[in-house]
Amino acid sequence: MISIKNLTFYYSGGDKPSLRDINLEIHDGEFVLLTGPSGGGKSSLCRCLNGLIPHFYGGKITGKVEVNGLDVTKHSTKELATMVGMVFQDPENQLVAMDVDSELAFGLENLAFAKEVIARRIEEALDTVGIASLRHRATSELSGGEKQRVAIASVLALYPDILVLDEPTSELDPKGAEDVLNVVERLNDELGITVILVEHRLDRVVAHSDRVIVLENGMITADGGPRSILSDGRVSQSGVGIPPIIKLAQAVKSKGMSLRVKRSNLDDNTPLTVKEGRIALAKTLRHSKPFASRHSEHPSLSLRAEGVAILRPFAIAQGDNKESVIASETKQSHLKPLIEVKKLWHAYPDGFVAVKDIDLKVCPGEFVAIMGRNASGKTTLVRHFNSLLKPTKGDVILDDINTREATVAELSRKVGYVFQNPNDHLFCDTVEEELAFTLNNLEVKGEEAESLIGQTLERFDLMQYRYQYPRFLSGGEKQRVALASILVAQPQVIILDEPTRGMEYRLKAELMKFLDQYRREGRAVILVTQDVEIAAEFSDRVVLLSEGKIVVDGPKREVLSRALLFSPQINRLAQALKSYGVPDNILTADEMIEALT
Amino acid sequence: MVSYKYSDKGTVIHRLNPWCKLAWIAAVFVLALLFDSPVYLLILSLSTLPVILAARVWKEWLSVMKFAFFLCLLIIVINALVSNQGSHVLYQFPVAIPIAGAPRITLEGILWGVGNSLRLLAIISAFTVLMFAIHPDDLMLAMVKAKLPYKSVMVTSLSTKFVPALMDDAQCIADAKKSRGLELDRGGRIQRVKSYASIAIPLLSNSLDRAVQVAEAMEARAFGSGERRTFYKELKLGKVDITILSFVFFSVAFGIFSRCSGQGGYQYYPVVEAISLTASEWAMLFVLLLLVNAMPILALLKRKVSLD
Repeated sequence: MISIKNLTFYYSGGDKPSLRDINLEIHDGEFVLLTGPSGGGKSSLCRCLNGLIPHFYGGKITGKVEVNGLDVTKHSTKELATMVGMVFQDPENQLVAMDVDSELAFGLENLAFAKEVIARRIEEALDTVGIASLRHRATSELSGGEKQRVAIASVLALYPDILVLDEPTSELDPKGAEDVLNVVERLNDELGITVILVEHRLDRVVAHSDRVIVLENGMITADGGPRSILSDGRVSQSGVGIPPIIKLAQAVKSKGMSLRVKRSNLDDNTPLTVKEGRIALAKTLRHSKPFASRHSEHPSLSLRAEGVAILRPFAIAQGDNKESVIASETKQSHLKPLIEVKKLWHAYPDGFVAVKDIDLKVCPGEFVAIMGRNASGKTTLVRHFNSLLKPTKGDVILDDINTREATVAELSRKVGYVFQNPNDHLFCDTVEEELAFTLNNLEVKGEEAESLIGQTLERFDLMQYRYQYPRFLSGGEKQRVALASILVAQPQVIILDEPTRGMEYRLKAELMKFLDQYRREGRAVILVTQDVEIAAEFSDRVVLLSEGKIVVDGPKREVLSRALLFSPQINRLAQALKSYGVPDNILTADEMIEALT
Repeated sequence: MVSYKYSDKGTVIHRLNPWCKLAWIAAVFVLALLFDSPVYLLILSLSTLPVILAARVWKEWLSVMKFAFFLCLLIIVINALVSNQGSHVLYQFPVAIPIAGAPRITLEGILWGVGNSLRLLAIISAFTVLMFAIHPDDLMLAMVKAKLPYKSVMVTSLSTKFVPALMDDAQCIADAKKSRGLELDRGGRIQRVKSYASIAIPLLSNSLDRAVQVAEAMEARAFGSGERRTFYKELKLGKVDITILSFVFFSVAFGIFSRCSGQGGYQYYPVVEAISLTASEWAMLFVLLLLVNAMPILALLKRKVSLD
């Protein structure tokens, strides 16, 4: 049991409290989802629970944090390690041993357990997490998801009562994230371990949690059951990524339709999973005679004699104007493609053939999402577009230039490439210099450079940080500086490699808004992503890769609807409600709401 | 592509107790310094090969050896240029070069370089086993058992573990810079050094971030505070291991004995000696060879025994 009273914390040198006046009790066996905007204090709160704050970080702490009756300021992190197990965000930076069983032994060795006890506990932890097959593997060879499960097992070996996970899935691909979350849920269900999970993407875990806590500016702004918290309008305004299904439910209710998940409880009317949404919405559609007749004049909705609401097939032309304009434009053959990939093959020096026989054209004004599992060749493909990789066979033609004959720097005028970690982009002393660096390389100088820098800073809302050290900015601001440093050169094509991984919803939406604007100026945006919801909402064309080959390439609606794995939450709902006349090519909550009203 | 990382190939050498391997490496090292005779050094170099082959690290060994050969070539050339004590003059430079004077290339000078290269090759060859066939955790444990402070050993082991991550990081930053129009490989040498140096700043700050994260994760798993600590893995010496160790020690003792009894010496200057070994010298060299190679032979036997 965790009890926090009047906790306020300042990092050393900080003049603003990172946590202020936190009062919280977490009971044994609870599954708590901790969320909120980045910089809101989630990580700081986690670090208070095992004494990393204040023992490791220093700073000023007032109030009281007690874990199982022990005051964390009086007991060391080492003592607390057997009560609170902590798993961190980056799988690369928390494993210290060469192989898996040494990794699991590490904590136990530090606590001077006898060899026999260590052997038994390793065995238990391996089985509990379900990674016995990995026990002799080298930790460096594991995938991200496997690494995170090893990290969980390694703290589990210490028999903690409480498991704190600070964004454990934000660096993982969807499959790895799923594996990790399954383990966490099972530990809570079967062993009764208290779980405190920090997450941005709520759609997957919210149904399993008992309680959602929202932290903003170091304060708890919401605390309660997931249904009531997430349907609270204030919470969605704070930038927490409300799962599409809940967004839909809210909209349906605000239209005056009734929605009931469970018969018994009237308050309990927010669906959390696709299944709950399916049942609730089917019920609503079945009983929506008055609603349906009210809207029978509406062109998108007609009523059949049986009283079932029938919706017109959700055509691309209807309610989807932005997409239709661009889609029809790109179909016209007179538009010259910006990028033309011809029979591209790439083999790495170790013999691994990463892309095989790819043909692809990208035209101005397109927003292309490149999707696929890990190691399906996504990154290898896009790295050819600015010559970071040269074709083994085939050609990539970029605006009449064969990339074989150009250096990356020469192409940087035409192609901007944004790497996943903004820290890799930032090395100058001020934000302004970051932008000037790019222009200087491209020999844009004097007044022209001045005005470009000014415009770009304005556009990305970075004027107030102009003379600040970029690395000290927050995550979202850093991402903006990185993007600005690329876009200041006004490239015709911009490539982003998994830019939204681990990003909170508000920042994602902001980024996508910038990109959408950019492509409207007749440029192309290429987004490598595994985030189906993002692709569904913002792209207009999806290229799906598997084992180095293009499996599907087409308008997003064709690729992402009626699919099993790569379909967004709302589409899965729509597919199930097909018999009620809901078009099965709906992708987002907004489209669903439009179709229903 | 050869990766310079340890990978467990599961051979008899990989399975062997690290103390045996460390002792063997030390023995080759001592013997290589002990003897001067090129025959002894050549045979010592060659006698590291069975271990390399048994450990199946020849690819790695070969790439290390490429570098070693380059080093040897350098030694031979430099020695030939600066040593002018030999008596068989092959070539006399007509003009003086600064520092070296007017070099006189002698047969002795070249042969001295060749002889000492053999010494170097034997030592480097043995150390590839340390790099590629001893598990870093085992090495760490051996160091701790040798009473080196645990924290220092742990830090050393961690820093080697994060080298590949550092390389990836550097590559990523270089790519990001190129993508922003920086020609990393263009311009004069000074310009290129400058360009590459600019990678250092983000690399350093990324590494510092990483260091804090690793430290924090270790702390959360009860690392530090300087109290007693146990070790899950043990370096238990079995009977075969002890036999191997004694053979290795005996090979050093035998080497010292034979060197003291006047064998294995050699003079390059002023006139190069003829290489002639007596029957007894050949016999003793053979015994030495056998002793040094006791490790792979016994390791193979051990595998047999443990399988039976």
